[in-house]
Amino acid sequence: MKAIFISYNQALTERILNVLDNNNVRGFTKWALTEGRGTVDGEPHYGSHAWPSMNSSILTIVEDEKTEKIMNDLRTLDKAAKMQGLRAFVWNIEQIS
Amino acid sequence: MKIYQIAVKKPVSTMLIFVGVITLGLFSLNNLAIDQFPEMDIPYVSVVTAYSGANAADIETNITRVLEDNLNTVNNLKKLTSTSRDNVSMITLEMEWGCDLNEAVNDVRDVVSRVRDYLPDDVTYPTIFKFSSSMMPVMVLTATADESYAALNKILDDKFVNTLNRIDGVGAVSLMGIPAREIQINVDPNKIDAYNLSIEQIGNIIATENINIPSGTIDVGNNTFNLKADGEFQSSDELKNIVVFSRNGRNILLGEIATIKDTLEKATMDSRINGKKGIIVLVQKQSGANTVNIVNEIYKLLPQVQETLPKDINIGIVMDGSESIKDNIASLSETVMYAFIFVILVVMAFLGRWRATFIICLTIPISLITAFIYLYATGSTLNIISLSSLSIAIGMVVDDAIVVLENITTHIERGSSPKEAAVYATNEVWISVIVTTLVIVAVFLPLTLISGMMGIMFRELGWIVTIVVCVSTMVAISITPMLSAYILKLEGGIHNYRGLGIIYKPIDKFLNLLDIVYARLLTWAVWHRISVLLITLALFFSSLFLLTVVPIEFFPTSDNGVISATVQLEQNVSVDYTAKIARKIEGIVAEKYPEVRILSSSAGTNSGSNAFAAMQSSGSHIISFRMRLPRATERIRTIFEISDSLRKDFANIPEIRQYSVVPGGNGGGSMGGPSNVQLKIFGNDMDVTNTVALELKERVSKEVKGARDVQLSRDDMRPEYNVQFDRAKLAYYGITSAMASQAVRNRIDGFIASKYREDGDEYDIVVRYAEEFRKSFDDITNITLYNNAGQRIKLGEVATVVDEFAAPAIERENRRRLVSVNASLAPDAALGDVIKDVTALLQTYETPQGVDIVIGGTIEDQQESNQDMMTLLILIIILVYIVMATQFESFKMPFIIMFTIPFAFTGVFLALFLTNTALSIIALIGAVMLVGIVVKNGIVMVDYTNLLVERGYKIRTAVVMAGKSRLRPVLMTSLTTILGMLPLAIGSGVGSEIWKPMGIAIIGGLTFSTMLTLLVIPVLYALLVSNKAFRKKITNEDEKREIEELKRSIKRLNNPVN
Repeated sequence: MKAIFISYNQALTERILNVLDNNNVRGFTKWALTEGRGTVDGEPHYGSHAWPSMNSSILTIVEDEKTEKIMNDLRTLDKAAKMQGLRAFVWNIEQIS
Repeated sequence: MKIYQIAVKKPVSTMLIFVGVITLGLFSLNNLAIDQFPEMDIPYVSVVTAYSGANAADIETNITRVLEDNLNTVNNLKKLTSTSRDNVSMITLEMEWGCDLNEAVNDVRDVVSRVRDYLPDDVTYPTIFKFSSSMMPVMVLTATADESYAALNKILDDKFVNTLNRIDGVGAVSLMGIPAREIQINVDPNKIDAYNLSIEQIGNIIATENINIPSGTIDVGNNTFNLKADGEFQSSDELKNIVVFSRNGRNILLGEIATIKDTLEKATMDSRINGKKGIIVLVQKQSGANTVNIVNEIYKLLPQVQETLPKDINIGIVMDGSESIKDNIASLSETVMYAFIFVILVVMAFLGRWRATFIICLTIPISLITAFIYLYATGSTLNIISLSSLSIAIGMVVDDAIVVLENITTHIERGSSPKEAAVYATNEVWISVIVTTLVIVAVFLPLTLISGMMGIMFRELGWIVTIVVCVSTMVAISITPMLSAYILKLEGGIHNYRGLGIIYKPIDKFLNLLDIVYARLLTWAVWHRISVLLITLALFFSSLFLLTVVPIEFFPTSDNGVISATVQLEQNVSVDYTAKIARKIEGIVAEKYPEVRILSSSAGTNSGSNAFAAMQSSGSHIISFRMRLPRATERIRTIFEISDSLRKDFANIPEIRQYSVVPGGNGGGSMGGPSNVQLKIFGNDMDVTNTVALELKERVSKEVKGARDVQLSRDDMRPEYNVQFDRAKLAYYGITSAMASQAVRNRIDGFIASKYREDGDEYDIVVRYAEEFRKSFDDITNITLYNNAGQRIKLGEVATVVDEFAAPAIERENRRRLVSVNASLAPDAALGDVIKDVTALLQTYETPQGVDIVIGGTIEDQQESNQDMMTLLILIIILVYIVMATQFESFKMPFIIMFTIPFAFTGVFLALFLTNTALSIIALIGAVMLVGIVVKNGIVMVDYTNLLVERGYKIRTAVVMAGKSRLRPVLMTSLTTILGMLPLAIGSGVGSEIWKPMGIAIIGGLTFSTMLTLLVIPVLYALLVSNKAFRKKITNEDEKREIEELKRSIKRLNNPVN
């Protein structure tokens, strides 16, 4: 099992959920409003006067074989709307209760 | 969940809520009545007291002064004026506008009842009289007749007046200008002296003969019968056979000692319509009734009524109160339509996309329609003010939608789906959208607080704009995102110019060029901050000099197709003579002014006793004319030109002592009426004030160029015969002066003995000396009086009759005697200039002791409303400052933004100067509104600059970038407002003159201040704000690096996609 953490501009919420649905991912945890800024470039998302947009974050634990497909879908999504901001990170899960 | 989220999530409910609002609005619109102005209470209360037989001076001391001293304590009293004439005292209390008139009337009633005991015994109880706009006739008709003239009064009363009275909303229908029927008993004094009869005795005999007495009932068997003794005359012929005296079995009949005439009373007024004999029918409405409806009904009824009348009676229309209303409403509706079209065009030109244009322009009808709901709910009407308010608001209601939509498009361009963009983009701007609306509200809501007459006008304007703008904000954060979510496509970026879009190509190119030019100009300006600031300040201060060139007036006048004129001949001429002069003038008018469609004239005193008549001055030597012309657009000469030429004609008629010609007519209250100048001369000594007034009149008409129709308010002293009784002799004969003077009155003026009844109408039976016995000085001394012992005494024995001069009327203002020199203004003269001339004249004039001279007239209203305007301006500026300071959480930012306000005024002066428009109260209101409109632009600029500085840009870079990015929105919102006002400013329709100055002022001010906003705000921002204010560390970089960065960022702005 892999954990995928997706942090993205909240404007992408619907499309991210579509990606998860398309890949038959049922379970996830979502923080509707998170703040953040990218390491390389892109606008910060602070919900402030200067940077009014906000992020949402999703943590989902999926089977290993689904990971690649999901990550590819997310990359496509990011490319289509470069300015929005979307990052996903994958790591291993050791146990599930 | 925020409102815009709900709206996007539930499009059906959102849509239907607004469909509901629109339906309600259209329903209200359908039920709205049309009127000229909003309903208003005219704050005048009059107290009229009659004291028969007293001359002006007696009335003044015994009645007017007593009442005045006490009425002066009434609450909310602004001005107390009075006129004391022979027999009548009329006191007028001008209350503060907007105070509770019912309460005022109650106060007045209290005072009157308290003072009643201090008045002479035989005065009539003072009548309290509340003026209202419903007293102005809504329609004036005329009836002319040839053969039926003698019976005209009765015919009209039966067939015409009754029908009109039945119309819903008609308050009163009164006939003017026809003498009433009366039965005259003209006694030969020699004959009655022979029988030792007096006028009073004859009168009493007639009264006792003309009586019906119910005499109880009698029972005959089982039946009861009423018994009565009918002695009333069945016909006026019976009077002849009344026995007035019986001696030695010989009866003397009334017919033997007097001639009995069943005739019309002596004409005191000669009224003609287009030269034909006729009567005037005044139709007044009930308070709150609708003029247009009433007039329409009358028009419907006229043909029916005409059929029932004898063939020679013609009904004509002198004044139709609904005509100007309909014209005004029609031309204003057109103005609103044009404004709507212009605004759509501007939005289309800037966006180049029809979907976006549709979404934005949809806010216009939705928000404007809510205004109708407000009007309907408050019982108001579609009137000049409410429609103009819509026209003013139309350019502003799109602003919020533009801001929201612009941000949504930006989000879509950056890759959001329209639905998400709609929610998140609205989330970013909704607070600032509400704040900018609050700024507008801060300007318009205080308009509802103005006091005085201006308040009545601007209350509705304030409310409508406030409501409409608030609704437009609601629409902008609900419907605009909702529609954007569902209608907007993933469009954006570069326009493809396909299809109709080809038209947009040159516009787009031009706008891009404008972007580049502006960015360069701004970069230059930011590097030359001090010089830019100095140049603009110099511009502002030099514009202040324009103030000395721009003419100043109070209220713009409009050409409403009515001219009224009053002509005064020498005192003491008879009505017949006056009528002759009236015919002469009518001839001149008919010959030289073919434009005049209906000319009604009345010479002499009014016998009617309605309120409208009471307000007009009349006398046997006064002729008043009312001319009705076609609409301004249907003739070449304006009423002002015609009036001027009429004045010249009047000046050439030697019989005329003084005249005044009032273009626009003097009806309709003080609004829209022509300006005038008044020199009020206060002083107790009538002779001294008369001399001063005459001298000033001469000098004003000679030395003040812009003055026309210079007139004195006080008539010349009038020669009169004064019967002075010798009290010792009266006492010797046992007669009191009251008895003696009453006897004189009965013989000359007549003694109303009884009433003759016919067909339910009553006519006076008047006994007096026959006319040939009351013609000369000797006839008066020959009057026979009887004392209680029945002794016959000639008036000459107990009294001397002397020639005297007396003032026919004494006017007072605030309890001091007053004569005023009144002048109206020449069409091209501005009030300000004339006042300047008059003040100069007064400075060189040596005022005698005990006399005060004050300049009054329109200038009083103007000063008062100027004061109101200043208070309003300060209030608005403070409110706007508060709103902005809270938004920016800073004391400095609002200052930067408000720095553009003076330039708006520069623009106003410049526009007025260029269009040769006078600075009137309407233009001033426009200037006050500018405070809000102009500041809105500044908020957009400063807000975005702040944002960029917070994002870490250097001040100068941020300023230039913000300017460049906000150029289009600022231009767009300004242009929608400017073009929305354009139809108002260039309008040529009927009545458009009134709002023109406001349109011109706003267009000028906004154009000028927008241009400067785009330069001065960035410059001032760069000067006043340091990066420290934003808690960003700024390392000591040298100028070169800063320029480098700026150049880079401008490059980045030009190609935003990297």
